[in-house]
Amino acid sequence: MYTRTILVKDTGSGTEDKTREVYTKLLDLLRTDKLEDQVQVVRVADIGFYNKGVVIKVLPENTLYVDVKEGDLARLVQATVKEDKPVEGLAQKKEPKQIRIVLRNCGRINPESIEEYIGQDGYRALTKVLLELNPEKVIEEMKKSGLRGRGGAGYPTWMKWKFTRQVAADQKFVICNADEGDPGAYMDRSVLESDPHSVIEGLIIAAYAIGASKGYFYIRAEYPLAVERIKKALAQAYEYGLLGKSILGTDFSFDIDIRLGAGAFVCGEETALIASIEGKRGTPRPRPPYPSVKGLWDKPTAINNVETLANVPYIFLKGADAFARVGTQTSKGTKVFALTGKVRNSGLVEVPMGITLREIVYDIGGGTVSGKNVKAVQTGGPSGGVIPREFLDTPVDYENLQKLGSIMGSGGMIVMDEDDCMVDIAKFYLGFCVDESCGKCAPCRIGGFQMLGVLARIAEGKGKADDPAILKRISFAMQKASLCGLGQGSPNPVLSTLKYFTSEYKEHIENKKCPAGKCVDLLNYSIIQEKCKRCSVCFTNCPVKAIEGNREEGYKILLDKCVKCERCFEVCKFKAIARK
Amino acid sequence: MEKLTPEKLERLSRTSKHKAKNWIRVGMSTCGIAAGAGEVYAAFVEEARKRNLQVEVQKCGCLGMCYAEPLVEVNVEGAPQVVYGKVTKEIAVKILEKHVVSKMLVNDYIFTMET
Repeated sequence: MYTRTILVKDTGSGTEDKTREVYTKLLDLLRTDKLEDQVQVVRVADIGFYNKGVVIKVLPENTLYVDVKEGDLARLVQATVKEDKPVEGLAQKKEPKQIRIVLRNCGRINPESIEEYIGQDGYRALTKVLLELNPEKVIEEMKKSGLRGRGGAGYPTWMKWKFTRQVAADQKFVICNADEGDPGAYMDRSVLESDPHSVIEGLIIAAYAIGASKGYFYIRAEYPLAVERIKKALAQAYEYGLLGKSILGTDFSFDIDIRLGAGAFVCGEETALIASIEGKRGTPRPRPPYPSVKGLWDKPTAINNVETLANVPYIFLKGADAFARVGTQTSKGTKVFALTGKVRNSGLVEVPMGITLREIVYDIGGGTVSGKNVKAVQTGGPSGGVIPREFLDTPVDYENLQKLGSIMGSGGMIVMDEDDCMVDIAKFYLGFCVDESCGKCAPCRIGGFQMLGVLARIAEGKGKADDPAILKRISFAMQKASLCGLGQGSPNPVLSTLKYFTSEYKEHIENKKCPAGKCVDLLNYSIIQEKCKRCSVCFTNCPVKAIEGNREEGYKILLDKCVKCERCFEVCKFKAIARK
Repeated sequence: MEKLTPEKLERLSRTSKHKAKNWIRVGMSTCGIAAGAGEVYAAFVEEARKRNLQVEVQKCGCLGMCYAEPLVEVNVEGAPQVVYGKVTKEIAVKILEKHVVSKMLVNDYIFTMET
């Protein structure tokens, strides 16, 4: 049996991967000292550091060595194995960047077993709330915790609950909004699939606080596994008497049903969501009256996002103060982000509020896949904006992101590198909103369509000098006059790209060029004769026979025949196709 | 099933803590399943049974490192607890034979976690 494990990984940005070299070297060193039976050396795929040279981790002590040189290896073995202590001056400390509150059980328990959730102190928060706290006190605790809505707008959860509680009515409702629809965001899906009971527990506590007797999960039908697991979890909770009549033997009764969304993005907006549950067409209505006063079937209703609710049991289990210790002055706790795009380690990350974008993208995400510079980070989905590289050191919280012209949103975070064209990005997000606009109000229906036309024209090289001004004018109207958040937010990607990447728009409009090489209409392909090896691969691959020539005389691209499919660009091994 | 009271919940909480000493957890969320976790899970169950190994194969949710799915966390006595990523049926067999039986970690597939 081994007493120690040494993990090795070359995280260097150098051309050669030295992992194997260091690995054999360590094995040799151990063999000469006859320690190979006590210590095992393992090559790992990912050690949590990026571009930091050779990284070595020694278990069980968990000491870290970053940027280890070959000359250090003997000293390292000597100290850690023989003398039982870290190498002085070399050992590193790494504070974990991620904190797991929402994802506390995700990947740790079987989501289809209520017993495993209970084994992780599940439903203890509910017991505490039902036995020890009255509803006012619950809301008081929520106020102390400082939890704000994780669905996008960041409205304080306790205020939502308090307003709903204050209204006198014979029936009240709570709804869990699981209609997650932002492109590239899947935090809620993951929580529902991995830890459904934490959301259910949060919803029961919310119901108790506001005095609701009935709750709904509104889940989009595109999440079949999440729906299945929530269904199972609800059935288990009913069997154990954690839902239904007199929960845990108290006089509090509460029922939960599931409603499926048919895939309309706008149904994530609370008034549209309510309409959808009522069986009507999912369109928003003007607020006020807010749902806390007149919601589902005109009864007071509190609507909370999945992630918000998953935070609730933690707050009552560990205390509001413990929760409030994490985060910044105005934004407490953690936020789960779905880190996607051109980042190396795409996935879910849960970070304390106040962490910088740079830490998320580089330290957790490992930088870009291509190794190129990050150009911008998009947050907040189609209602958010892009944050350019210069602002990567901004601490992430609701206020800071808003100041930069973006929003926290539900937690999509898309990393873009230098190959991404900002006009194209703006066009993509706006296109999404135009598709998803319900068409009820004119600013969103007509404004979005017109803006998309202008963007398409710019991307085709037909842009006019006053197009940016037109975009800004329509944006202003949409922001001021649209009925709901969809229309008000949809100009944001356009405005933020216009603000931070003015020169890129200019390049498209004035010089008819796309610097990132994305807008196909502005690109022309040609063969760089000096690099061309006359291998004929492009010639044989061109689907429209737009390349002529032969192996003796070389090849050229006929622009009038070229359909810009990029096939030649992709197949050329010598990078001899120019795209300008 | 019996309806819970606060006392019974307390008792259940204590008794349902993880008791298995040796376990393998396969991430079975949408991201894992899409990457082939179903097949990997089946391979673990099948191969562990064939070899008559004292290890519990469990399903769990998503650990968050979607880029490395299917993710498999392994904890057996006598070896450090680690997460393997990009696991295939073949790697699953390797994990059982090397890690579970011989307590030797498998090279090139470990993804260390911060938390």
